Amino acid sequence: MRKYRSELHYIATIGVLVALIEACKLAMAHIPNVELTSFWLIIFTVFFGRKAMIAVPIFTLLEGAIYGFGLWWVMYLYTWPALVLVAYMMRKSTSALPFALLSGIFGLSFGFLCAIPYVFVGSPTPGLAYAFGYWVAGIPFDLTHGVANFVLMLVLYRPVTSVMEKVARPL
Amino acid sequence: MTKNKKIILGCVAAVLLLAALVGVWFAFGPQSTNEGATTTAITNEAGESTPSTEKGGKSVTIEVVNKAGVTTTYNVRTDAEYLRGVMEEADGLTFVEENGMVMSVNGERADYTLDKAYWAFYIGEAYCNYGINDQPVADGDVFRIVYTAA
Repeated sequence: MRKYRSELHYIATIGVLVALIEACKLAMAHIPNVELTSFWLIIFTVFFGRKAMIAVPIFTLLEGAIYGFGLWWVMYLYTWPALVLVAYMMRKSTSALPFALLSGIFGLSFGFLCAIPYVFVGSPTPGLAYAFGYWVAGIPFDLTHGVANFVLMLVLYRPVTSVMEKVARPL
Repeated sequence: MTKNKKIILGCVAAVLLLAALVGVWFAFGPQSTNEGATTTAITNEAGESTPSTEKGGKSVTIEVVNKAGVTTTYNVRTDAEYLRGVMEEADGLTFVEENGMVMSVNGERADYTLDKAYWAFYIGEAYCNYGINDQPVADGDVFRIVYTAA
């Protein structure tokens, strides 16, 4: 019975985590390149550890179901897991700055990471030049993304983690 | 490695990445190749030289290839710096843009999510790497806007 309740708690918690990410994503959709997805994925990984990583594929599937499965969805398959993996390696850290740097660097690198598929696919001529052009064209968005990620993590880390320490049970 | 050293390393990496992105943008990003209208001096009847601005300093061609494969050509004299300005000045050419994407040209929609098609932009034979708001235009450029099924 205890194991059953524990599994229920796990499933429900993961559901809430993914719902939180989606809700924040929708709420901030009108502000281009400012997002809380990076913030929440880092916080969940640091707070809940490996067990929370299942939220990433669930979130990715949900995104595909809502917005349609396109090339952007393939990018999601490796960008968010990469962020979560690095956050997991840094989970022992207790201050906001390292995670702010991680989130900021992730935001700055997002365009580069998303340009990778265009080396292989794209119309009319995929390849390095096409991917490079795609990346360069998105640099202003990457700069906004990186700075926004950095600031949001720096500002929200302490308040959010202190609340989570009080109300959230470990998985 | 101590914690402080890791943080310093992280800060340095972030700053270097930021600088690299800005550098790449200025080196390879969209650059205006023409200052717009050219100014030529003319001499009036009194022999005095006065500056005269030449309107439409650039000659740009836009070819629209619709779903049926029919090509419509627009030759535009313009001072516009970017493709959007040229498209707005082309007589008879209409377009609808949403969130930076051209969804309809001359009343023909190519919405990727609805029609599984899009309007592809070419400069010469090469695919445009920038949207219409950022694609610079130079004298003699030939742009093609082609209805493309995904």
